Amino acid sequence: MRLLLLMFAFCLTLPAHAELRYTLQPWQIADDVWLLEGSTDNFDKANGGNIVNTGFIVTAAGVVVIDSGPSRRYGEAMRAAIASVTDRPVIKLLLTHHHPDHVLGNQAFADVPIAALAGTTELLREQGNAMAENMYRLVGDWMRGTEVVLPSETLAPGTLEIGGRSLRLLALRGHTGADLAILDERSGVLFAGDILFYQRALTTPNSPGLDVWLEDLDTLEALPWKRLVAGHGPVADDAAPFVQMRDYLGWLDGLLRDAASGGADMNEVIQSPIPERFAGISLTRYELIRSVSHLYPRYEAMALQRVDE
Amino acid sequence: MSVRVLLLLMAFHAPSALAAEADPLQSVMWEYHHKGLLNSEPYVFDERVKVQVPPFAEDSRQVPVHIDARALGDEVVRIEAWADLNPIPRIFTFTPGEQVVPLVAIRIRVEQATPIRAAVLTRDGVWHIGSAKVDAAGGGCTAPSVVRAQPGWEDRLGEVIGGRFARGDFSRLRLQVSHPMDNGLVGGIPEFFLNQAQLRDTDGQVLAELELYPAVAENPSLSLEVKGAQDTRLWLRDNNGNEFEAAL
Repeated sequence: MRLLLLMFAFCLTLPAHAELRYTLQPWQIADDVWLLEGSTDNFDKANGGNIVNTGFIVTAAGVVVIDSGPSRRYGEAMRAAIASVTDRPVIKLLLTHHHPDHVLGNQAFADVPIAALAGTTELLREQGNAMAENMYRLVGDWMRGTEVVLPSETLAPGTLEIGGRSLRLLALRGHTGADLAILDERSGVLFAGDILFYQRALTTPNSPGLDVWLEDLDTLEALPWKRLVAGHGPVADDAAPFVQMRDYLGWLDGLLRDAASGGADMNEVIQSPIPERFAGISLTRYELIRSVSHLYPRYEAMALQRVDE
Repeated sequence: MSVRVLLLLMAFHAPSALAAEADPLQSVMWEYHHKGLLNSEPYVFDERVKVQVPPFAEDSRQVPVHIDARALGDEVVRIEAWADLNPIPRIFTFTPGEQVVPLVAIRIRVEQATPIRAAVLTRDGVWHIGSAKVDAAGGGCTAPSVVRAQPGWEDRLGEVIGGRFARGDFSRLRLQVSHPMDNGLVGGIPEFFLNQAQLRDTDGQVLAELELYPAVAENPSLSLEVKGAQDTRLWLRDNNGNEFEAAL
């Protein structure tokens, strides 16, 4: 009986002791270019927020890291994953944009320059703590000890020469108002940040407008890329992510425009049918609900006129 | 089975206006609001009263609520709407006249995940309760005002944008009023909100009355539906006595 009780007590304590560990498996997607691919799921206590693609490039001078992931714990796991494939030191972290899944691992890179577009730093200063709090709510204990660390360097668009490699930096706006894309000229790998989502519904909380986003897609597609790394979703060697993004953005824009001109209320819009051709894209309904909250008021304002007297 | 047992079973299962029904959302606040807002009057939980909200509040300061009691038709006398767990639960009291459809879409603030209720009083004196639940990170009632952070907001006070949209035999009226809807819960700013609205015909006859409470979001958005295509005017007043008018 006492043994049974002991076993029971042991079982009770198990969840508290279960180690939360990210399994980050570096995948070499080109010479010296590595990817840590996240799932296309939503933030969840089961995945610790590992729903994002991060990466790193090993140069002669050291390792350049692209995005730090959703938590301190992720950032630390990333450092370990990098050390498992190269002895070179990390020399710089580049942030594609200020969203929590891309920047909350910054604490693990506090020993190197953290570089971002000026707008990204500003947005992170404004919104970082609130976003981090929401991440604690969504993924729980994975976030323990995570705090916002602001960038220490400001990036300008142009070419960053580092360790014998040329990284072309593009300042875009469509996803958050300050979106960095990075083209590694040697390998042709394009880290598109969240300007590209692939097989995962795009998110719009800070988008200045879907028209701006569509223009950014043109800018990116015209680059001499060979491999595409979306911020979320699988790697692609053809233009399929661009095709899907344009199709989806165009549908979303048309849906919101038609709904507003027909006088629909938000709760009606979020129940709109989602075309069959987007069935393979993860989280479309969830993101439609969010996008209606973010974007629909602007479409409504366009469809309504001044009527006060 | 004897007839008596059958009757007993029916009595047990039939929704009765007088017996206290269990709240389908099992909210700890149901009894409290039944007493406070509905004066402990008879009620039924009634699926014909449709309350639509998103499953989660993406923005706790602007949560869309869509209340539709059209299935109860001309029997509707009044609609009370509230959010069970809000510090300021009440949303609106709507009294649609004969020319106005018992349907309201509005945006509200929520302080935490909460049931949203619409209680529809019918001519027989029974409240028909519709419910929906919205999940939320919360904080919408105590977040700093977005309107007050915009320079020149005072000049835009009471500006209304609106439109009229055909809906079969009805017209949907949609409008948004520039107003901070201060609820008194944010940093030393006292209550300042639109508390009264009337939809009138061109002769000034009241078609519908709407009382608003400061659970309603900043720059309130409102949709109503009227029968036919008649011209209407919306009159609004805030608790500081400012009056505004719009033609729809």
